[in-house]
Formats: sequence, structure tokens, C-alpha cells
Amino acid sequence: MENDFKKEARKQYLHFFRFWFIAVGVLLVVTVLTVIGKNMMRTVYERHNSQSPTERVFDYAEVLTDQEEDELRALIAEKEAVIGCDLVLVTMRQPVEGDAAQEAYNYRYTSWELNMQDIADDFYDNNAYGYNAPHGDGALILDNWYEGQKGTHLSTSGRVFDRFGTRDIDEALTCVDRYVESDPLRAYSACVNNIAGKMGGNSGISGDAGAAYVMVAVIVPIIAAGIFVGTHLRSKQGKKTTTATTYIVGGKPVMNQQRDDFVRKHVTQRRIQTSSSSGGGGRSSGRGGAHVSSGGHSHGGGSHRR
Amino acid sequence: MIFKCKNCGGNSVYSPEKKMMYCPFCDSEKSDERQYEHARMQVCPNCGAEVTYTEHTSAMQCPYCDHYIILDERIEGVYAPGRIIPFKMGKESVKTLIREKFKKCTFAPTDFLSEVRLNTVTGEYIPFWMYSYHTRCQFQGEGVKRRTWVSGDVEYTESSYFHVVRDMSIEFEGIPADASVKMPDGIMDLLEPYDYKELVAFQPEFMSGFLGEKYNMASELIESRAHAKMESSAASMLQQSISGYSSLTPANRSITAPNPGTEFDLLPVWVYRYTYKDTEYPFYVNGQTGKIIGTTPVSAAKVWAYGATLWACLTAIIAMVCCMIV
Repeated sequence: MENDFKKEARKQYLHFFRFWFIAVGVLLVVTVLTVIGKNMMRTVYERHNSQSPTERVFDYAEVLTDQEEDELRALIAEKEAVIGCDLVLVTMRQPVEGDAAQEAYNYRYTSWELNMQDIADDFYDNNAYGYNAPHGDGALILDNWYEGQKGTHLSTSGRVFDRFGTRDIDEALTCVDRYVESDPLRAYSACVNNIAGKMGGNSGISGDAGAAYVMVAVIVPIIAAGIFVGTHLRSKQGKKTTTATTYIVGGKPVMNQQRDDFVRKHVTQRRIQTSSSSGGGGRSSGRGGAHVSSGGHSHGGGSHRR
Repeated sequence: MIFKCKNCGGNSVYSPEKKMMYCPFCDSEKSDERQYEHARMQVCPNCGAEVTYTEHTSAMQCPYCDHYIILDERIEGVYAPGRIIPFKMGKESVKTLIREKFKKCTFAPTDFLSEVRLNTVTGEYIPFWMYSYHTRCQFQGEGVKRRTWVSGDVEYTESSYFHVVRDMSIEFEGIPADASVKMPDGIMDLLEPYDYKELVAFQPEFMSGFLGEKYNMASELIESRAHAKMESSAASMLQQSISGYSSLTPANRSITAPNPGTEFDLLPVWVYRYTYKDTEYPFYVNGQTGKIIGTTPVSAAKVWAYGATLWACLTAIIAMVCCMIV
């Protein structure tokens, strides 16, 4: 009999989860086919630019060790091959704001942001970066470590320019902001991964994004399973089904006397206070921070000052 | 006494489905005859085996020959029930009802609804004292009706005061309180209501095929339970009669009822006593309406297995969806 109950328990279990198991099975097949399809359809980028230097990491501010620079070069080389875009990092330590800086370095502007933009764009253009062609697809991260004028600018070009809106630029720069003071390598790597992820590389599941996916994939099911168990555990003894009139003969009382005599009345008054409020906001996507560089090439970009 | 079939000598029992005496051995209807009236109580009149029962038992089943025995001394004289609601649902109907009600209890042990376990369901006639009250409810107090409106940037509130008087009589009949120590009072209250239109004069035939008890205690000892139900109902009626006021301040409120009238009746209850891991989980079914009261046991193994499976399925689904998106 014990065996019969075990058999019955197994039958109940399979019956209960039959749709779940079917769904998981179907999804598994779809996932496998999708992954295979993606791999087969993945674009293989060939580099068509021999004018640009092979160097991608220019640590003029000397915030990275040689080993860290090599690590970053390796990461950039790996991502470039996948997304077909040049990724360049430039760190520097020089003033970019004010009249004195303008005079000393021959800037076009006195504004921190415009000068950062000019430096980044010019560096990209002058070195003829671009994976597909000179001044073509790519992005340049310019990080300034000059005390009091610290900040990062991201210059986008070609396909990266077309793909990146202001919000994407902001997200990429936030990756730098988050770690740069404590761990510059991690900050720049996160930014490279972010850009690569958005450009179609599979780095979207690494780092913070990966942690978020794991959280969703583990925590959400735990909560759902908890709710499922909780609702199925709830068991009521039974509901009361008698009412106040269940045992009353005829279902209602006999009223001997019912009086509601008006006695008096009074009125009070109160002044109403009024108030008002307002709000608003917006966002954009694609070709964020569009402008033309001093060299006449189209760029996008944005800055975060810290 | 025992009810025997005149045709085959088997034990005739009352059939809720047929609403008459019936012999389950030869399918004869109304073939019953009383035998062994006022027989010795310590032995089964049919097989002579020694039988044991509690001090309140009035009907039982011989554990040796399965005949239903009715103890005459406990259904006569002071213990004679005035009326009875005969079982309206048979054993098979009750088993179906229990299965239907609890089939969605995912975490109940596997054998909870098994045929073997459900076959242990027993029908029992539970002794009830029925109380009747002539209740008088009186109320005097001050009621206030408030009305608010806005004109310009000023809000006005008008308060009208009334002298409220209510005087009502309520006839309560048949407020039940079970007179059985073994039956939990709260559970018996939840099994209500019974349809009293089906109360009939007591006949021992109705008890054949079921278990039963005489009342375990005098009506005065449990009258407080019926009184509380009466008072709650009367207070509710009084409250309902005073409507439309924003606030009410009572000056005088009383609910009075002189000595209640009492009657001793038997009401039908099916009992399913399921034991799981040394704990008993009793289920009670109103033998007339089919209302079921009881809480299902929980199998910890099932909770873990089902919870973990659901978690694993969801995790796999989310992971695969992420994999496809990324």
C-alpha cells in the first residue's frame, strides 16, 4: 500500500506540473535553436582601416599600471573583433576650463565640457580611428584627472554614434563614475563592456548586469514559489453561514415603538486651504549629443564631471 | 435493540438515499423488525460478544459482527429525544463531497482522499439542546446626522440632533447548542444552520446504521452559549433598526429575555477522523446540508517538492529568456 501511495504521489506531482514541464521543454528547444541561430548569423567584422595606430590605451595621466594597461588592451581587442568598432581610452591630467587654460592650450572654448568634447573628437579624428574606415565606427573614452576638473567624456562615431542616445552615453559614463576613483581599470573595463554590450557583443551579462540577471533569475522565482506555497498552505476551517435572522421566527423582529424626534440643529464653517504643484521631464534615444568636430566629422557624445 | 431483516436476518439500517429502512445484504426495503429490546447492555444482542461504550453512547456498532446496536435505556425516559433530522446524505455522497472540496489542497498527504481512508467516515447523531427566547430590545439615545457642503472657499457642516427611541420584540426559536463533550463547540457552531423543516418525531429506526449519544449535560449548563448567540443576533437587529445617523450616543440600551424554552433533539453529522504523523485531523460534515468543517494536514515533503520544482521551473524559464534576449 505504501508503494501505491508513492506511485499516486508521483502521479499527482507530474499532473500538477505537466504544463510547467512542457513550457520548460519547449523553451529549452527554442533557446537552443535561438543560440545556434545567433551564432550562425553573427556578423564577422573585418577591419578596413590601416591608417590608425594599433594602440588603444593612452594612459597619459598614469592611473593604470602596465599590467592593467595590458589587461585593458586585451579586453578592447576582444570586444572590437566582436562588435566591429574601435574602442580607445585616453587619460590625461591637464586643465580644460577657463581663460588661462584656453590661452595655454589654445582651446576653442573656455567651457570644460566643450573643450573635453574637442579633445576627444580631435584625438579620434587625428589618429584616423574607425574600424571600417578612417573616422569610421568607434568610440573614445577621455578621462581627465586634473584636480578640480576631473571628469569623463565619451565621443562616439559611425555606428556607435547612430546607436548611442543620450541615455546610453549616460549609462556608459556612469560605469566609469562608479569605480574610477577606487579602481580605474574596473571603471574603464565596465565602460568598454557596456559599450560592447549595447553594440551587440555578449558582454551584457557580465559585471553588474550579470549580477542583476542572477538576482532576477533567483530572487523572483523564490518570491513566486513563496507566494505559491503561502497561498496553498492557507486553509480555513469553514465559514460561518448563519446570519442574525437565522433563528428569528418570521425572519424579522416586531417593532413596538420606533421614534426619531428632531431636537436641534447647528451649522459650523471652515475656510479651505489651497495649494498647487508642477513637474516634467523627458528622454531621448539614438545619435545622442550630435555635433561636428573641428575636423569636420560627425560625432556624438556626452560628459560626466566629478 | 437491533433492527433485523425479516427476509435474510441481516442488519437493517436507515438509508439516507432511499429515506427508509433497507437491508444492505438482500436489498429488501422496509423489511426490518425490532429485536432484542431492552437487552443486556454489556453484550451484543446479535453475536453475544462483550462490547464497550462510553457513558453517553446511545447507538454503536458491534466491533465483532458489525451490527448496529441501539441502547434502549439511553433513548427513553429523560433521554428520549423529542425530534430528529434523519441523515439526508449517505456515506458515498459524503465521500464525494469531501473529495470535491479538498481535491485542490495540493499539500495534503497523498492518502488523505484515498478510498481506504475515506471509508472510515462515520455518521453520528449529535445531541443538541434547542433554545427558544421571547426577547425584548429597548434603546433610547441621541443620534446626529451630519451634512457637509462647500460654497466658494468655505466648507459648511450642518449637525442635526434627534432623540432616538426603539422598542422591539424578537421571537427566537431553535438556537442550537450541542450537548456533546467530544464535539468541539466552535466546530458545531460552524456546521449550522440545519433546516428545521426536516425535523421529525424521533424514531429509533433512524439511528440504525449510525452512531449516537444521549445528551452529555443538562440544558441549564450550556444555556449561556445559546444566550450569547441570541444576544448577538438581537443587538444586530437593534443596530440595523437605527440607521442613517452619523453618530449615536446611547442613554439606555437593554436586551432582556426571560427563561428560555428547551427541547432535546438529535442532528446528523458525518465525521472523518484522519490521522497524520500521530496527529488527528477531524472533519465534520453536516449530515443534512453537506457543509464541511475542517483543516487539511500539510505534508512537509510535498511543500518542499512542489515549492522547489516551481522555483526551478521559473529560474530555468527566466534564465532561458535572458539567454535569448542577450
